[in-house]
Amino acid sequence: MIAASVLVAPILIVVFRSFTTGRLGVSVGFNIEGYLRVFSDPQILSMLNNSLVYAAGSAALGTGLGAMLAWIVARTNTPGKTLVELMPLYPILMPPIMKNIAWILLLAPKSGVLNSFLRESWGIEAHVFNAFSMGAMIWVFGLACVPLGYLFLLPVFLSFDPSLEESAYIAGSRPMHTMSRITFPLAIPAFLSAFVLNFLRGLRSFETPVLQGSPGGIHVFVAKVYDAMSVDFNPGLATAYSSVLIFLSIVSLLFYIRATRFSERYATITGKGYRVKIIDIGKWKYVTFVAVFAYFLVGIVIPFVVLIVVSLIPYYDYETFMKFPANIDLSNYVRVLNHPSFLSGLYNSLTLSVLIALITVLTGIIMAFTIYRTKVFGSKVFEVVGTMPLAFPPLVLSLGLVIAIIGTPLYNTLWGLGIGLFVAYFPYALRNASGAIVNIHKELDEAAWVHGARWRHVFFKVTLPLLRPTVAGALFYIFIESLRNVDVAVLLVAPGTEYGPVTLFEYFRVGQWAEAAAGGVIYLIILVVAVSVAKLAFNIKFTL
Amino acid sequence: MAILKVERLSKTYKELQALDDVSFEFEKGILSLLGPSGCGKTTLLRCIAGLEVPDEGSIYIDGKLQTCIEKSVLVPPYAREIGFVFQNYALWPHMTVFTNVAFGLKLRKLPDEETKKRVRVTLDLVGLQTQEDRYPSQLSGGQQQRVALARSLVLEPRLILLDEPLSNLDAKLREEMRVELKKLIKKVGISALYVTHDQEEAFVISDTVIVMDRGKILQYAVPDEIYNRPADQFVASFIGHSALLEGKIVRVEGDTCLVSTPALANATLLCPAPRGAAAGAACKIVIRTGEVQLSSHRFENSQNVLEGVMSSRDYRGGLTDHRIQIGSKEIVVTSHKLCPMINVESGEEKIFLHIDPSAMSIILKS
Repeated sequence: MIAASVLVAPILIVVFRSFTTGRLGVSVGFNIEGYLRVFSDPQILSMLNNSLVYAAGSAALGTGLGAMLAWIVARTNTPGKTLVELMPLYPILMPPIMKNIAWILLLAPKSGVLNSFLRESWGIEAHVFNAFSMGAMIWVFGLACVPLGYLFLLPVFLSFDPSLEESAYIAGSRPMHTMSRITFPLAIPAFLSAFVLNFLRGLRSFETPVLQGSPGGIHVFVAKVYDAMSVDFNPGLATAYSSVLIFLSIVSLLFYIRATRFSERYATITGKGYRVKIIDIGKWKYVTFVAVFAYFLVGIVIPFVVLIVVSLIPYYDYETFMKFPANIDLSNYVRVLNHPSFLSGLYNSLTLSVLIALITVLTGIIMAFTIYRTKVFGSKVFEVVGTMPLAFPPLVLSLGLVIAIIGTPLYNTLWGLGIGLFVAYFPYALRNASGAIVNIHKELDEAAWVHGARWRHVFFKVTLPLLRPTVAGALFYIFIESLRNVDVAVLLVAPGTEYGPVTLFEYFRVGQWAEAAAGGVIYLIILVVAVSVAKLAFNIKFTL
Repeated sequence: MAILKVERLSKTYKELQALDDVSFEFEKGILSLLGPSGCGKTTLLRCIAGLEVPDEGSIYIDGKLQTCIEKSVLVPPYAREIGFVFQNYALWPHMTVFTNVAFGLKLRKLPDEETKKRVRVTLDLVGLQTQEDRYPSQLSGGQQQRVALARSLVLEPRLILLDEPLSNLDAKLREEMRVELKKLIKKVGISALYVTHDQEEAFVISDTVIVMDRGKILQYAVPDEIYNRPADQFVASFIGHSALLEGKIVRVEGDTCLVSTPALANATLLCPAPRGAAAGAACKIVIRTGEVQLSSHRFENSQNVLEGVMSSRDYRGGLTDHRIQIGSKEIVVTSHKLCPMINVESGEEKIFLHIDPSAMSIILKS
């Protein structure tokens, strides 16, 4: 019950507050001034257009690339399979904010590495690349969408019933024709699911619009919500923008649900055991290898190298950058590690992430167990309530929470921040646990029951041990997601309650690029260590 | 005292009436619940175990009230002291054979030595003494089935419920296991309620059988009576191979009656008279086609001879099916290999069916 009200409150508040104006803490009348301002904003149409182009563009780029990589890995005789198989997944490790920082360093119009290179070496004065353009936004977020497209499409290509293709061959269709007429059409539903999910992620994404969009005058709704709070501190306006965003989110979520239903009808997995047929693509196999490798380079190696280099030079400009490695210098690390707000942010984010992972996963399991295994009244309502926050952008959730707790002792404390992260990640824990519990045959519980076990015995001796692998996966997923969270924490931090990734975000916003890079590298090292420990200790597969 | 008593049990799932006012008493031994899928037999079993809550009615196990909707009594499954063997065994995959079987004993806080002893004895009983450290996934289907049985038997319940326990085994193993299962239950000396949709399995394994359809009990009797005197048309068609024909009672003489059958060119047959038979009553004639004798000529002085034309003969190994057209009706008569060969080829030649009254029963239309 408590969990349910914690989840619902922020959402109701956002909708309610969107009808009010005025500063927080001041009693306000019920009106639609916020909406009037939103809809009378001459930029509203261009904002809507920007949001949709940005989300759709990134989703198309990411899902398309992901699908291509999945097909290469699953169905072709590309050399170095074991190496190639995991390459599309490594970019997940890098927190989104670090990708933005790296690409801005590379693509910034005047000072960016690439434009400077063109200018210094070839005398091209024009700014060929612009980090603060729609194209660059789609490029950076689109690359971040690739792993999801890959993960959705890979099982489709891997578990494809070969007889579907074989019957096309028998009917006289050549391999290429079969590919385009049978294989790809059958993958469309999975592609659509991945596309819509990536689209939704685009609508909700925070870092790219704020760091790349707003400086270039390309405004989308998330950035506007953030500006309304951080610049104007006008909750009425922020909530009104949020409502538009919520509407867009819900519409695309409904599309997503439809797309997944559609894909169930296209089931290509028949339960029979078979090996996937590998297609010999001849000389092209080197091309496909290079393609996968190129994505790996662009997706993680290049941004990572840029960050490392920038973190190791005294300050960032092109000249200093090119002198590397003659001018290696640890001063950024020393500065960052001596900075109290970085240290407290690091400490807070680590402890909070561990706690949030434990609490969300445990509550998720208990709630899923209640929903699917007991006959407690209204348990289906819990399910809806528990999944609801998924429909709302994290920034909007934390906005609702800010409004809810302002003026209470929770405001500006780690408790408030913790509640925000709980609300944002609980749905993942619940969905994960629900999926796992549904997959455990009910008779296993019943067998314990008739042989003398009470609910608590069933839960601790049968359900929980069987859930162990899934639980471990969810714990680490939420830990990692929470450890790099910016969009929930950004509105809830205050002096004394710093949150690591938000601190990096602030460094970058005030132009301390080298410090941001150094802090980012420290974070990445912590994440890689955590993931490796998880993999070694629990043998977890990070395939969500 | 009856080990199990069920009174006026009803349960409806949305549109479907799974149990419709079911009442019966079960003294002891092995009782089968027999019926097609969806007849309510599994629902009944789950209600008895307490896994399902009926809409109405009460259940007594060993004289103790377990479920009574009217009095709001609902003893949870873990307190009913029964055994339950699930259709797919429901062995816990994360526990070894030993821990699976010891599960219930541990919950009852038995000393370790005692637990070990009882698990070993039970595993011995089901022939798995060497497998106790294995995991369920390392066992064959038949072995998993024995573990599931051992898990229930080790608790020494007075009643064990079995939900189609053999249906996941292949045909040959199924036939072996049903005999073994019966021996085992008899040896342990507990009562068992056995759900199955296989008529032969029910007959082999049980002392008494309940035939169910659409949530109702149609007949509750010993196998012999169900086979020879089916209570209604459904039971007759569900049990064994038989031909069902429309008929009309012409005359009743003591415990026999004369029935005319319009479908068989108005032939009259001498049949055992059912209770309450009266001349002029409409009825169904059940002919057990495995007990019909075939010949190429009419025997002298014999009663109940039908004349037909063979349309085809299907060889099944030990048995042969003869499809015989009589009037407007085709009847399939099965003959055993040892029966005299019939020299009639399919085609025009006539074939004669000799039906002893004992191969027939009459069901009065209500």
